Amino acid sequence: MMTLTDVLEDTEVVESTIPDLPWVTIVWNDPVNLMSYVSYVFRSYFGFSEAEANKRMLQVHNDGRAVVATGSREEMERHVEAMHDFGLWATLQKVDE
Amino acid sequence: MKAFVRSRGYFVAEFLPEEARLLSSLADQIIELIRDPEAHGTDPAVRRLLPDAYPDDAEASAEFRRFTVDGLAERKAANANQVAADLASAAEAKSASKVRLTDSSAGAWLRSLTDIRLTVATRLGITEDGDLGTEDPELLDLYNWLGFVQGSLVDCLDR
Repeated sequence: MMTLTDVLEDTEVVESTIPDLPWVTIVWNDPVNLMSYVSYVFRSYFGFSEAEANKRMLQVHNDGRAVVATGSREEMERHVEAMHDFGLWATLQKVDE
Repeated sequence: MKAFVRSRGYFVAEFLPEEARLLSSLADQIIELIRDPEAHGTDPAVRRLLPDAYPDDAEASAEFRRFTVDGLAERKAANANQVAADLASAAEAKSASKVRLTDSSAGAWLRSLTDIRLTVATRLGITEDGDLGTEDPELLDLYNWLGFVQGSLVDCLDR
């Protein structure tokens, strides 16, 4: 176990080797959004290739949801807000939930 | 309405004056809805436009909402405003006329058409794939027409 002093002395190491608990952004299926539009959002916002965007769009459509991003909670909140700008139904949660 | 096409760097479609007025009035209604604080608590369409960010955490969702709702609502209103502004001359024309969108206008249209379609779908009771929402045939026609407008714009993006 690390003591507080160890942590303070090793801040740089701690910061670079222990990432935030990973969070995910999930996009959920809805009956309104066009498949072509969802794929466009994934390409234009996340920078996915057309094949990758279509794969995730079909995952949303067929499985009811797809993970579209993984990272820190703050980052995922930004993605969720952006998805709500586009009118996609998106949420975030911890990766193990 | 004639579908959007790409022409000299613009997205161009043709609208009848009554179509332009209809879409413009829907955009205005979105602005009214999204700026109505009462609707935020009670209207299922607003709940769909601004959904909970944390599916199983009401407290975190409320906090997220507190920090993001004003910005999201204002951006949605700005997008709807852009749609109405782009349609203004077509709405006052005597016959069908062309509506020209820049790239940034097209982005506002795509988002606002989504907001409008989500709202109309909520009114129609369309909540799951395959729902037909047939109770109001006129509204359903409108919903399908909006899908055509948006689909034609998506189809000429980055192609």
